[in-house]
Amino acid sequence: MLAEERLNRLRSAMGKAQIDAMVLYGNAWQGDYLRYASDFGILEGHGIAVVTRDDGVQLFLDSAADAERAEVETPGADIHLVRDVTRAVSAWLDRAGNRTTAAAPRGFLPHGLTETDSGKRLADATAVVDELLMHKLPGEVATIRSAARLADEGYEVFKAAARPGRRQYELVADVEAFLRANGSADNFMIIGSGGQDVYGMAPPSQRRLAPGDLVTTELTPSIGGYYAQICRTLVIGEANAAQKRAFSVYREALEAGIAAVRPGVTAADVARAENDVFRKYGLGDYVTNKYTRVRGHGMGLFADSKPHILEDVDTKLVPGMALIVHPNTYHPEVGYMVLGDAVVVTDTGCEVLCGTPRDLFEVPA
Amino acid sequence: MRRGLISWSRAELPDAVLAARVARAQAAMAAAGLDALVLYTNNTRTAAVSWLTGFVPYWSEGLCILPRTGGPMLVVALSNRVRRWIESVSRVERVVPSPRIGAEAGRVIAETKINATVGVVELESLRADVADGLRKAGSGLKVTDATALFEKLRGGADAAEIALAAKAGTIAQRALACVPPKPDTIGTAIAAAEAQARALGAEEIYLAVAADLARDQRLVRIEQNPPALGRSFAMRATVAYKGVWVRLTRTVLEGAPNGVLAQATDQLAAAVSALPDDRGFKDCASWLVEGCRVAQPLEPLMGSKVAEPLRPAAGSVVSVQATIRIDGHPLVLGGPALLGAAGAPASLLVPPLFED
Repeated sequence: MLAEERLNRLRSAMGKAQIDAMVLYGNAWQGDYLRYASDFGILEGHGIAVVTRDDGVQLFLDSAADAERAEVETPGADIHLVRDVTRAVSAWLDRAGNRTTAAAPRGFLPHGLTETDSGKRLADATAVVDELLMHKLPGEVATIRSAARLADEGYEVFKAAARPGRRQYELVADVEAFLRANGSADNFMIIGSGGQDVYGMAPPSQRRLAPGDLVTTELTPSIGGYYAQICRTLVIGEANAAQKRAFSVYREALEAGIAAVRPGVTAADVARAENDVFRKYGLGDYVTNKYTRVRGHGMGLFADSKPHILEDVDTKLVPGMALIVHPNTYHPEVGYMVLGDAVVVTDTGCEVLCGTPRDLFEVPA
Repeated sequence: MRRGLISWSRAELPDAVLAARVARAQAAMAAAGLDALVLYTNNTRTAAVSWLTGFVPYWSEGLCILPRTGGPMLVVALSNRVRRWIESVSRVERVVPSPRIGAEAGRVIAETKINATVGVVELESLRADVADGLRKAGSGLKVTDATALFEKLRGGADAAEIALAAKAGTIAQRALACVPPKPDTIGTAIAAAEAQARALGAEEIYLAVAADLARDQRLVRIEQNPPALGRSFAMRATVAYKGVWVRLTRTVLEGAPNGVLAQATDQLAAAVSALPDDRGFKDCASWLVEGCRVAQPLEPLMGSKVAEPLRPAAGSVVSVQATIRIDGHPLVLGGPALLGAAGAPASLLVPPLFED
């Protein structure tokens, strides 16, 4: 079972780092460290899992709904519904005595916990867990592959829902319903629509789609807690010459980025491959942080995992890493455009997980 | 993560309501000698900042700084490219994007007054590196905990909050009304409810199911390999609308004697009417009252599994859920309720009633 494999791997890493007990924080935004250790997908409130090398897993939660769900979904853990997670974990650490303790991600821990005597002794083991989160087990890759297939199917639903007059949030409603019906408990999704006035994507608004709009989305469903992303752009009606010309730059950049993905290169190499295409066409300004955040990122138990694909990130790629490569940015002629595929690093290069054509789609106006 | 409609409706959350909340907060700050109030938000602990500004992050995190005079500002870890979106959904004077929100907030506060007294709401549970950044950036700042001050302010709900809670409850009711008595699969039932809630403008909806009440009354999320539905099942819709969260829980009972569900709903309403006294729940197999005191939208306040109960404030909105056994049938029901102010009885804002 995947959860058991992960826990064994975590305990093995703790052994190598001489850590007796690990404190892992999570909330619905950043829940990957907690899920890795406890297999619990936290949704409301916040929580901390405490894992020891020789005992069970303690899970402290401050949401009654989450605690009830955890009783059913994580039968291997001892569930504690507590009013104050800080106080409860602090008491546990006090009882742990002189054991060597560490935390991940340490910076996310409640301030009150880090101020206690036992909290001050918590070493920062974020890097230890980051290694596990990035370098995935075969079972993790298989699950991400399933999530990527669902992302492809979800994008088909998105395309079918994109019609003039429909509001952005109505499109998202269609996609979310499809994903729930198909076993995806969560999805990260943002959207943009319009023209040159659109500089990025955000949660869906009340804006109605109109003929000529570029409609962009990042769609990131999860299966068993693992996220896979796809980014595509469509046009309401026929794409004009400028939109087609612009899109060809994004396609070339995505292909260059994916071609660069292989073991031994760095995240920076992939970003540079994407950005060089924009620079070649005189669009170098548009790959800076004024117009774009990242040129891709890791995927896994968090939708926006490490490593970030940026020209100053020197993390080396290794087989088993799952990434989204997306040269998403603003284009001065047509507005914000996105195009991205999920990939997994293999021994010789990468496997592309998305099957949706890399096209600028046109839907009836 | 929020995937629903996040927008500021001036009709439902008028500028004057948010201005009045800010004014009350600033009066309390003046009385407590605070120069600035700092409130943290992420997509889990949204309620304090959304109450004051309407802002709900769909992702990431931020700090709201309320000075003793003037309007609130937001320091957010979201990118500068969504600044315009943030300004469109929030009543704030200024938005400052920064990857280090604690340090930036400390710098901004110290810029105005180098030795300002800063009250941080939920200081103990504030993310450690945000707290460290705040302290280090403004080394002359005097940082104190302002949770009690804010909780007192928040207290009973104003008319706008009550109306938003009722709207959220209605969305939940209409969503659960889409669930057929005999759905083909749990997935189709969930999809129908999800689509309806989002089409009605829900900011977020979480659906949980107890697939066979005769076996287990606990509500869980449905992922891959859903269980088969029993003759009776329960579904709970947790809905957020304009920053206000409620839960509504419905039981679907195949071949139930007439009136069983109505009887259980009456029993729930009677138990609710005695709140904050919990005597009405004594005969329930399990029960729970959740509400918002500070930043957690649905904090467990009282219930059969709540070890340290807290009395909900008079006039506050809560969500109630109970497992009631009638004629051997375990029924899980719940809905949002309003606690009476000045000794008036509490009542369900939206009862879990459906045309079965």
